[in-house]
Amino acid sequence: MNALLLLLVLLPFASAGLTFFAGHRAEVATKGLSVGASGLGLALAAIVAFPRLGDAEPIGQVYASTSAAGPSIELSLYVDQLSAVMLLLAHSVAFLVQVYSLGYLGDDPRYPSYTALVAIFTGAMGVVVTADDLWLLLVGWELMGACSYFLIAHHWELPVARAGAVKAFLMTRTADLGLLFAIILLGIRFDSYRISTIMSGILEGGFARDELWVPAMLLTIAVIGKSAQFPLHTWLPDAMPGPTPISALIHAATMVAAGVFLVARTYPLFLSAPMALNLLAGVAALTMFLGALYALFSDDLKRVLAWSTVSQLAYMFGALAIGAYSAGILHLLAHGAFKALLFLAAGSVVHAVGSTSMSSMGSLREKLPDTFLTMTLGFGALAGVVPLVGFFTKDAVIGASLDAARDGRLVWPWLAWVLFVSAVVTALVTVAYCLRAWLLVFFGAPAPSAEPALTSEPAPRAEPVSLRDASSLGSSGQATEVAAIQESPWSMRAPLYLLAVPTAVGGLVVAYPDLLLGSEVEYEPLHPDVAVGMTILVALTAGVVVWAARRHARTPWRVPVIPHPQVDRVYDVALVRPVRRLASVVRAGDRDVIDAYANGAGSATRGLGWVLRLAQNGNVQGYLMVVVVGAAALAVAAGVLA
Amino acid sequence: MPLWWPLLLASLLFAIGVYAVLVRRNAVLVLMGVELMLNAVNINLVAFDAHLRDQLHGGQTFALFVIVIAAAEIGLALAIVLLVFRSHGHIDVDRLRSLADRDLDPSTSSGHRKLDRPEVRR
Repeated sequence: MNALLLLLVLLPFASAGLTFFAGHRAEVATKGLSVGASGLGLALAAIVAFPRLGDAEPIGQVYASTSAAGPSIELSLYVDQLSAVMLLLAHSVAFLVQVYSLGYLGDDPRYPSYTALVAIFTGAMGVVVTADDLWLLLVGWELMGACSYFLIAHHWELPVARAGAVKAFLMTRTADLGLLFAIILLGIRFDSYRISTIMSGILEGGFARDELWVPAMLLTIAVIGKSAQFPLHTWLPDAMPGPTPISALIHAATMVAAGVFLVARTYPLFLSAPMALNLLAGVAALTMFLGALYALFSDDLKRVLAWSTVSQLAYMFGALAIGAYSAGILHLLAHGAFKALLFLAAGSVVHAVGSTSMSSMGSLREKLPDTFLTMTLGFGALAGVVPLVGFFTKDAVIGASLDAARDGRLVWPWLAWVLFVSAVVTALVTVAYCLRAWLLVFFGAPAPSAEPALTSEPAPRAEPVSLRDASSLGSSGQATEVAAIQESPWSMRAPLYLLAVPTAVGGLVVAYPDLLLGSEVEYEPLHPDVAVGMTILVALTAGVVVWAARRHARTPWRVPVIPHPQVDRVYDVALVRPVRRLASVVRAGDRDVIDAYANGAGSATRGLGWVLRLAQNGNVQGYLMVVVVGAAALAVAAGVLA
Repeated sequence: MPLWWPLLLASLLFAIGVYAVLVRRNAVLVLMGVELMLNAVNINLVAFDAHLRDQLHGGQTFALFVIVIAAAEIGLALAIVLLVFRSHGHIDVDRLRSLADRDLDPSTSSGHRKLDRPEVRR
């Protein structure tokens, strides 16, 4: 089992290496490798993870360790219930994304590097969720940041893609400093970098309340950056120029989920330091509403989903902040399923329409029946419609926050109330924006066939696909117009249906949570009063939105230009401009001081050479004259001095 | 015979040789200057050999060596002069400036080359 675990962690990297090697030389091999390796990874993850679910004992293994000074840094893996479900989530979404990418990006000239980076991304997430050593976790954590940079900048011809990639990288990297310092502090404090040792030390150590607030706060900063919470939330929507499968991977299973995972992994630390939990709760309460608000008024389908991710992640952090550990984790899993579904379905829509702007969509219900069905399930789950998975997990989070507001001891009661109110209001806003996006995309009048407006992602080769489909249809004897909106190839539809299954029936897990996370976790999955109340409110909101949509012809409400909180400007003034100014000073110093010496040495040598080459005139007798005169001078000098 | 006679003769010959090497433009005459210098040294060697009454006659032996080397040198040098004459049409040392360090600019180098070999192979 331990060897299998190591194999599971290393497999994605090996497949990425092979994919890079095969590259364009053998495109079929590249595709087979990437999909096959991710499928194998999923199988291995299932073998490793399923025995660990429920009440099983966690497994851990130290494969290698350093013997340098200080606490030893180890290559050690550890799989408990949390790691197991995260492994399953990451590898299943990665597998589906690889299959989906066959149809979505299979003809892309950068497909080999893309698919290799997806594999590395998955492998990095595998390292993060199984690492038992904090430094190993940091390696995976940073590797994900680097991969997200490369993948967001997949269409690097576009300035907006480059800018989004740089922004994502810089913001997450800045927040990662928190993780780095937290690791160092924890290592000094506990004389070990092993997470399980540190956590059991905290559980047994009898620390005073908030005694460990510094590393907890630093970790909070790190996860705020990685999971795009309030002050650092702007990178996630700006990462939308990346290919849609990447968005699915980042939003559902890997990058942003790693932040939630880190809090869950180091949960004893957070429980011992409620100050960090207060910060987390406040950030979550603010972020969930803010994200939903921006999703409500965005015209870009992918941006709606991105803002909804920001908002839903805040739900998870809210749940973790008030001590509802399993509610947060279950919402993370549910969100992983339905957000991957939503993004892949959105990719299918974008693939068919050739634009991400919702004003160029409309009445796609009949043209894209499979996408319509699956995306309806996804939106329903996101909005929290009764039998779908999102309903149960969101209900668990809201119910837990109500409990915490009534008699919680972890965070300040007023903050828990704020969190509860924000969660309820956000849930209703979520219903509104889901319904709006759903109506705009699949109902209403067909979009005026104007040229696509500003889109966040370039249309993924609309022409080759439609041409290929047209030729295949033409060969079967049907005439079709080239630009017709058609359903995507099977490789893109199959993942949608596969993801629709957990989205539809995943709520059953909430009824038996100990199957997944073990029975140690105190947890009340169902809050009937909250569930009934929320369902009534959701229905009312949906009614209002539908009424508004009928009243106005096309869009339920006018999209006002709401000012974005000026956090980007604050960053610009506080960080970007000083750094630029410093950079220009450094550049001037380099050019005018350091380079001056280097250039001076060069030009001095050149001048001296110019003088010396005057003597090199080709006249042999002249050379000899110099020799003779020199010899005579030496002889005279020798005679005089001697 | 006092020592300074041959020494005077040798230094006169050497000076004439140096003068010829440094000043003459004809390559053959330059070589003759070299020979004069070599033989001035030979006279020195022999004179000191006689003056010091060396049992092994090292001076005379060295003189023989120098003569042999001078013969080889003049053979090689005359062959070079012959080749220079064949390729350049003259043996004027002053005009043999091919070794000069000059810019790689093609126009100037071609100008030099014209100076170097005015008439190649009639």
